[in-house]
Amino acid sequence: MDQLKDEQIVESILNDDKELYREVIRRYENKLSRYLSKFSNNKDDIEDILQIVFIKAYKNLYGFDINKKFSSWIYRIAHNEGINHLKKQKNVKIALDDLEYKLIDEKVDIKKEIDQGFLKKDIEGVMSSMDNKYKEPLVLFFFENMSYEEISDVLRIPKNTVGTLIMRGKSQIKEKLIEISKKHAR
Amino acid sequence: MQDKKLENTIMGKIKTGQVKLKSKYVFIAEKLGLGTAFTFSVLLSVLFFNLILFYLKETDNLKYLSFGKFGILAFLESFPYLLVVSFIVFIGLSGYLITRSDVSYKKPFGYLAVGLVSFIIVFGIISTYFNIGQSIERQARTGFAPANMFLKPLTDMRDNGVAGVVFEQTDDYLVIQTPHGLRNIETEGIENLPEINKGDFILAVGDRNGFDFKVNQIKIVDKENMGAINRGIDFKFDKNLDDKNIKNLPSNMMFFNKEDKECIKKCFEEKVNPRNCFKECHK
Repeated sequence: MDQLKDEQIVESILNDDKELYREVIRRYENKLSRYLSKFSNNKDDIEDILQIVFIKAYKNLYGFDINKKFSSWIYRIAHNEGINHLKKQKNVKIALDDLEYKLIDEKVDIKKEIDQGFLKKDIEGVMSSMDNKYKEPLVLFFFENMSYEEISDVLRIPKNTVGTLIMRGKSQIKEKLIEISKKHAR
Repeated sequence: MQDKKLENTIMGKIKTGQVKLKSKYVFIAEKLGLGTAFTFSVLLSVLFFNLILFYLKETDNLKYLSFGKFGILAFLESFPYLLVVSFIVFIGLSGYLITRSDVSYKKPFGYLAVGLVSFIIVFGIISTYFNIGQSIERQARTGFAPANMFLKPLTDMRDNGVAGVVFEQTDDYLVIQTPHGLRNIETEGIENLPEINKGDFILAVGDRNGFDFKVNQIKIVDKENMGAINRGIDFKFDKNLDDKNIKNLPSNMMFFNKEDKECIKKCFEEKVNPRNCFKECHK
């Protein structure tokens, strides 16, 4: 079962092996749950959104193009549901776990610029206050480890644009953290 | 544990039929519908662009601007607003539909928009060679409602401008043939009045008073640049002004000279049936 590709599983489901959808849920539940945690801090909300995502994905399986990547497709659905949730609930703060916090610290390469280590809440605050246009590709790039190609599939934007947004997003984080560090120094 | 709960909930809904796969035909219909709507909106954008070009080229609208500030009112009055608004709406709709289709998948909208607008402009220009505008103009003149609605500024009488062929000429007034019939053009007191002869095509700005028009500025223009107005005149006079129709036409659409006018006026004063007045006076 593990050797089967997502797209092959989808084909089998469409050929009336509905039980195989359980495997899709198993493969994506944790990943999508982590991704959706960037749209909501509330566990119950995340679970509700997740349920909506899997149900929508199942209902629309015939709309999935077998020649494309299933992971990008289901992330796209999760992304749209996450955005819908954000529209309803404003000022959602991004919550980072320790691993993610370190990841930002490394990938944005803050330490070269400033000596001071940042509090987790500083980075969370900076990420939360960012424009969605930068935040979305950054989250997929940092925390979902997606390639530019995959991010481009999920967000439906050209690959070059993904690169530009990530680069600008990174420098925005850097600038804001430098500002914070200056405030701390005073 | 919680994970299993979600998995079981969803699978339970699937097994009990609460959650069902949407039919593949829904997606096929969706794609077809989107494709059809996109094609139609692009075709309509091309058509409206073609009609705008046709209107600006073949009517008096743009020519009023040659009068400078005196021609602005006539230009604004005869501008084809509905055509321009429809063109913008359909080009916007085409842009929206293209972003919903697979064509735009991961492509920058800027390039798509430029491509779409270029396509519409190029095909709009090419389609001017197929006389689509003329055929819609003909339908508008024969009263076909949708064509008439979009080309209303062409068929409407203007308050601030007039264009037509000189039919009769004196020092104080002109009688010109227009797509709305014969019109009296008062030229009294106009400075630098050009030498106007019968058969000249004139364009004038001023103020309308019924079928009369008080001129502020007037000029002779090239007949060839007024295709739609010429066709309107031909349509009005060649087709309608035969023996069968003449009695149904109002006085100001008929050919009449000074004596006829006086005769009609006198006849009216005697409270004779107007139809008989026209019959008696116009021999």
